[in-house]
Amino acid sequence: MGKNRVIRDFKLNKLLYLMILPVIAYYIIFHYIPMYGALIAFKDYSPMKGILGSDWVGLKHFHDFFSSYYFTRILKNTLVISLYSLIFEFPAPIILALLINEVRSKTFKRVAQTITYMPYFISLVVICGIITDFTNADGIINRLFMLFGYDGQAMLQKPELFRPIYILSEIWQRIGWESIIYIAALMSIDQEQYEAARIDGATRLKQIFYITLPGILPTITIMFILRMGNMLNVGFEKIILLYNPVTYNTADVISSFVYRKGLLEFGWSYSSAVGLFNSVVNLALLVTANYISRKVNKSSLW
Amino acid sequence: MKKWVAGSLSIALMGTMLAACSSNNDKNGESTNTGNGGNNSAEQPAEATTYPIKTDKTLSYWGEINGQLIGVKESHKDIPFFQEWQKKTGVPLEFTEPPTGQVKEAFNVMLASGKLPDMVEYNFIGDFPGGPEKAIQDGYIVKLNDLIDKYAPNLKKYLQDNPDIDKMVKTDSGSYYAFPFIRGDEYLRVFQGPIIRKDWLDELGLPVPETIDDWTAALTAFKEKKGAAAPLTFNSKPRFFNDGGNGAFMGAFGVTRGFYQEDGKVVFGPEQEGYKQYLALFRDWYSKGLIDKNIATADTKSVDSNIASGATGASIGNAGGGIGKWQPLVEAKDPKAVLIGAPYPVLKKGDTPKFGQHNTAYASEGTVAITTQAKDPELAVQMLDYGYSEEGGLFFNFGTEGVSYNMKDGYPTYTDLLLKNPDKLAPAQAISLYARGSYNGPFVQDKRYAEQFFALQTQRDAVTAWQKTDAAKYQLPPITPSPDEASEYAAIMNDINTLIDEMSLKIILGTEPVDAFDKYLDKMKSLNLDRAIEIQQAALDRYNSR
Amino acid sequence: MQMKATFSERVFDVVVYAVLLILIVSTLYPLLYVLFASFSDAGQLVANKGILWHPLGLSFEAYTSVFKNPGITTGYKNTLFILVCGTVLNLIMTALGAYVLSRKDVLWNNLFMGLILLTMFFSGGLIPLYLVVKGVGLLNTLWATIIPFAIGTFNLIIMRTAFKGIPDALEESAKIDGANHFTILFRIIIPLSMPVIAVMILYYAVDKWNGWFYASIFIRSRELFPLQLVLREILIANSTDSMASGASAGDRFQIGETIKYATIMVATVPILCVYPFVQRFFVKGVMVGSVKG
Repeated sequence: MGKNRVIRDFKLNKLLYLMILPVIAYYIIFHYIPMYGALIAFKDYSPMKGILGSDWVGLKHFHDFFSSYYFTRILKNTLVISLYSLIFEFPAPIILALLINEVRSKTFKRVAQTITYMPYFISLVVICGIITDFTNADGIINRLFMLFGYDGQAMLQKPELFRPIYILSEIWQRIGWESIIYIAALMSIDQEQYEAARIDGATRLKQIFYITLPGILPTITIMFILRMGNMLNVGFEKIILLYNPVTYNTADVISSFVYRKGLLEFGWSYSSAVGLFNSVVNLALLVTANYISRKVNKSSLW
Repeated sequence: MKKWVAGSLSIALMGTMLAACSSNNDKNGESTNTGNGGNNSAEQPAEATTYPIKTDKTLSYWGEINGQLIGVKESHKDIPFFQEWQKKTGVPLEFTEPPTGQVKEAFNVMLASGKLPDMVEYNFIGDFPGGPEKAIQDGYIVKLNDLIDKYAPNLKKYLQDNPDIDKMVKTDSGSYYAFPFIRGDEYLRVFQGPIIRKDWLDELGLPVPETIDDWTAALTAFKEKKGAAAPLTFNSKPRFFNDGGNGAFMGAFGVTRGFYQEDGKVVFGPEQEGYKQYLALFRDWYSKGLIDKNIATADTKSVDSNIASGATGASIGNAGGGIGKWQPLVEAKDPKAVLIGAPYPVLKKGDTPKFGQHNTAYASEGTVAITTQAKDPELAVQMLDYGYSEEGGLFFNFGTEGVSYNMKDGYPTYTDLLLKNPDKLAPAQAISLYARGSYNGPFVQDKRYAEQFFALQTQRDAVTAWQKTDAAKYQLPPITPSPDEASEYAAIMNDINTLIDEMSLKIILGTEPVDAFDKYLDKMKSLNLDRAIEIQQAALDRYNSR
Repeated sequence: MQMKATFSERVFDVVVYAVLLILIVSTLYPLLYVLFASFSDAGQLVANKGILWHPLGLSFEAYTSVFKNPGITTGYKNTLFILVCGTVLNLIMTALGAYVLSRKDVLWNNLFMGLILLTMFFSGGLIPLYLVVKGVGLLNTLWATIIPFAIGTFNLIIMRTAFKGIPDALEESAKIDGANHFTILFRIIIPLSMPVIAVMILYYAVDKWNGWFYASIFIRSRELFPLQLVLREILIANSTDSMASGASAGDRFQIGETIKYATIMVATVPILCVYPFVQRFFVKGVMVGSVKG
């Protein structure tokens, strides 16, 4: 029976299989064939012996990582920053897309879109330079506070302010760019629904909640699931540009910690092990999110 | 969506970009004495090579193009120095240049591909996992001992005359692995120290500070009388102890931020009582507003603007990148402004500072190794030995006579083509076109290059002032942990460095009391500091018995 | 009642415009900062503290120094080639994959999807990929930055989601008319998904434009370096850190700072212009119209 099904399916979908053949071939050649490289997480990689020839060390690198004095702290910081970004950064571009959608002037709409998306293209070093400038003891933010009688303080030297600064600047830099996908999704909403709602006397706020949001929900869901599969990936570049030892307590994440270790030693295998750990956790989170989403609102990755 | 660039290795890969920036001063401590020491029993002298060598072979050469020439020349073959080098030695070369900033990656990929050029210019100590010993063991580069004996008389003679340097350029087991870059004079090994506004001192009637008390007085006067908002500031990116860890200020208390040696024993600075006193001093200064309020986030940009705007009167910096860069800036605002190098501070007037910035004679960058796939290693050795001959030394440091330098009373003087370039190239760029004196390579660097290169008298004086330390005596020579111990050492030190940086700044900024230091001492022990010291000690012992 | 509605409508409008205006002003600053800085006098810029409202002095020195680099023109050419060929290949491959994977009745789809998703999490790292690229003979060609990155899995998923959202009724009727899968994909699905296709073009084009890392590994000849790699070299070579060990006089250090910003302008402005082009495809109600038609 199983065999029959396979044959019948193949006959029926021959053309589809032909279409996806280059895609599958691509993934096999450029993703699955090189994947043996992940083995170095369990080896002591040396470039001359090659990946397959290097000595096995089993779980040593994982053990080193988990038993580090700072493991709990960096894991916690990573998760907290990720969670904050999920709560505050994830909805921001959706809100922006909704706002832009409500603008009637076409020119203003375009200008708003084009300008808000620009900071995404400015290199991180410059962005972080601007952030440092603004948050300095004599920076513009502090000068504003001083007008209201507060004392100026170097904000990036306050552990409790690191995460807000990090998240807010993330939103600032990425909101426009990330809203594009939602703006595109908005285009496919049936315009007749709005007309009907208007005739029924629904306010624009109501229209947003009953027509617009449901219309882009599939996109939001997919983005959310993918975001969940990225929880442990807090990149080190921005962190190391903004943190300093006083804020390690709230700012030091897995990637920045591994980066510092890389300064002392070429840790190919170690960082590969950490990467593998991240991937496994991320994958688990993605699968969970997908499962829940499938139960709750029927849209899911698979 | 960039975040999705998968690949567990990407962390390590991108990391190297920033790692490169900090490697400069990051070393645990390095030192040497230029012994112009005893003549080792001379073996039979190798036959001197006559240049140009007659050969019909072309050798391949892999090496990074000097950063000063990016945007000026596309590749080595277009650079007059490298054209002339081939003519002088008679050996035609074929060059490959890895992209700037991607040298390590390109090198590793080259190893993986299995195809090597004849010669590679690479930092085997800093950028090769396992170090040079391993590179030889695993069959990538050639052990040069015999080849140097037979075909490199110039280098051999230099190393025989300088046994201290000889010790540095070989591995623990005594193998030569590359043609080294050697800073031929003490003058070339010191380039960093405290810098201060001389005009302010004069105006306030203060002497150039020598002791910590002098410094407190000067900084206080800067703050109160000159209105300096950040009397002392220095770059603390990417690490707080970037410039401050070598011994500026903390050297007065007899410690550095890293390892050093006392009577042949390895000592770790941050666990000494002196380190606590240093923290107490900085804490006091910070609370009184003598140190930049933003010190933990101060980067080169903010230091530059503070100095230029007169918010800062003292810093820690280089003769070139500090004084050379800031002098025109402060002058623009105040024509009378003068920045000078102040000596490394001490506690008691008249003492010699224990520490200060001091590089080893042997710098591991710019060294050239010969690979196991070299078609004609003998020829390569003969060609590379040129840089250590008298003629070759002049060529590497100053270029071609009549073009880039002229002999004036036996002193090779750079021409205006280099120092006042008609194409508006900066001297550093113009020199790199015709010579390698201003950066590195397989030769012995000449003091006379630096004397002409420092445009300002204050720069030259600064180097002299900074030189007066005992750093050479106490600093560690360039030692390397054995390949087996390297990863253990890195794991321990990563935790300990995190701990110390965090503790130090918290105490300085006043978030924790000075006495928290004692608590941290216990933590350091529990993080296995003793094991790290043991590994360093073993490496030092191996070095001493080279 | 009527009055009240218009009043709340107005409040609503005011809020929308006000929020957007604040956002526009604050997100405009980084670009202006880079723009002003790139035209500033190097010495004045280095000395500057705080917000930059206008160029400090006016100097084109930084741009002169960036553009005199012999690699810039070839860099633009190479990047343009990578961008055009790469994006076209990306779109075709992604569309093929997304189309098949969005079909409901294909037996192996779940397996395919699983395999593809896994590649988002696990990879073998750089060296094995290098060996594969070498093995298929792409080394030291521009194609080495195109073919190994023919599909972005993230984009594939987004496109698949969009394709899934298209009502089945449309295809059914096409099938009855005897259309095969290629026809359905190119005549029905893609025209109906133009907004998402436009986003894909943007994502892929930006990716190609910004890419330098793999080029630095896979490409040896300097004549084949893409723009970003050339610019990156300029940037690194002119950073204060890399010059610090030398001992040059002041002006070379100072100009490093303005060169940084000129480089960013040269690297950024062309790609910024892609978006307005992409926006043309953002037309409301595409789908509805075609269902009716």
